[in-house]
Amino acid sequence: MKLDTTHNDATNTSTVSLEGRFDAHELDPFRDKIDLLTESGVFNINVDLGGVEFLDSTALAELVRGMKRCRENGGDLVLTSLSDPVRVILELTKLDAAFTIA
Amino acid sequence: MADTAPPADAISPLISLTSALVEANDQILALYDLATISTDSLKESESVDRILAQGRKLLRADELRLVAEDAERSSPQSSIGGTTAVVRVEHQSGDHATLIAKRQAEPFGTADKKLLNAVAHMALSAVHTARLHSEALTQAVMARDHAMASELAQRSLPKWRPSLEGTAVYARTDPARTAGGDLYSFAETDDWLDFVVGDVSGKGLPAAMMMSNVIMAFNNAFQRHRDDGPAAMLRTIDHWLYESLSDAALFVTIVVGRYERSTGKLAIANAGHSPVVFVQQGKARPLPASCPPVGVLEGIEPVETQLQVQPGDRLAICSDGFTEQENNAGQMFGDERLESFLVDRSTATDDFGEMLFRQLETYAGTAGQTDDRTLFLLDFTGTA
Repeated sequence: MKLDTTHNDATNTSTVSLEGRFDAHELDPFRDKIDLLTESGVFNINVDLGGVEFLDSTALAELVRGMKRCRENGGDLVLTSLSDPVRVILELTKLDAAFTIA
Repeated sequence: MADTAPPADAISPLISLTSALVEANDQILALYDLATISTDSLKESESVDRILAQGRKLLRADELRLVAEDAERSSPQSSIGGTTAVVRVEHQSGDHATLIAKRQAEPFGTADKKLLNAVAHMALSAVHTARLHSEALTQAVMARDHAMASELAQRSLPKWRPSLEGTAVYARTDPARTAGGDLYSFAETDDWLDFVVGDVSGKGLPAAMMMSNVIMAFNNAFQRHRDDGPAAMLRTIDHWLYESLSDAALFVTIVVGRYERSTGKLAIANAGHSPVVFVQQGKARPLPASCPPVGVLEGIEPVETQLQVQPGDRLAICSDGFTEQENNAGQMFGDERLESFLVDRSTATDDFGEMLFRQLETYAGTAGQTDDRTLFLLDFTGTA
């Protein structure tokens, strides 16, 4: 899985773009990135899932973990550019009702 | 000829020689002891003490002390000469140690260097071996505890199967590791069959421990809130488990259902679980979740799906590890393939469940199991 990050200083918002398969085997880089951002005071994070074709329940749990941490600190973790397969997974699990999706 | 005592000046060398022989013999014995110590006791302090004791004899030292150090820490350089010798040695693992020897009778010389080095290396090696043994022992204990905890968690899955008239139940879960987060459980009265099927995110022991908590919560919810129905029981499970799931950064997809024999009604409350498939008159249709999984948002509000069942109908609930199983080409088993099997009601429930697992194994080929797999079947057979 490829992971790229950009940061907007004006809004203190980071965008984490993922590409490839997002599952238990690819978890650590994403977790490390979210930990790094939140520990440095960034609580508005966009996760661009446009390049992700599959995510499993472990990956979903990691997104939920990031979302909770951001919200606890007054921000949010927003999912953007959902591919069709990812949108279906979020709808089936009703997690689309839990996340902010843009 | 009369015996005559040897002159005193002749005795002195003999005594010296005898004394030297005894000392040499002591040293040989000490060398033998040193060579046979190895690390048979495998207790760090004991084996090092024995090596140092024999080393002291060989070196005729008054004091011999080993200071083991971290690889990072600076330590004194080796110096041999005078009444104190300092020898610093390094093990191939990167560990260091310093041997400090003191001898008042005679200053240490270059002749002692090899022996000092040998004793220091042996002692450091004993320290290292004992540590390896200790680490291996710790790991073995942890592995045993892990296996025992996994087994205990898996034992929370019920072995019994419901026997409510007009139904046949099949349930099986195959964890990807020794334990998994997939679960099922049942409870029944003369007229009701209640069930729960779920999937804790993640794998292994943490998921399995949470899995057993979910089963316990379901059993308690059945005892205390069964009159309120599946949605209320699911809300209760959420209330009890939200915090611990949230703290552990886990969530669990859960289906709680009830079949009421006297009315033929099936009620399903689904928190984020998929696939849940209802088969009626040969047609399969998914029963979607009405709220996110437990552990994601505090205070979920599940809505029950109400169905009127007839003999020949079937409810099937799998975990995602079943439908997301990939074949050698990286293609998933998928919901459609599952549904194509589920519509066949010609086989007895248990046989059908086992057949479906075999189909999955065949499909997976050498791709191997990557997630916990669970299949729950509730077949409605009608009154016998």
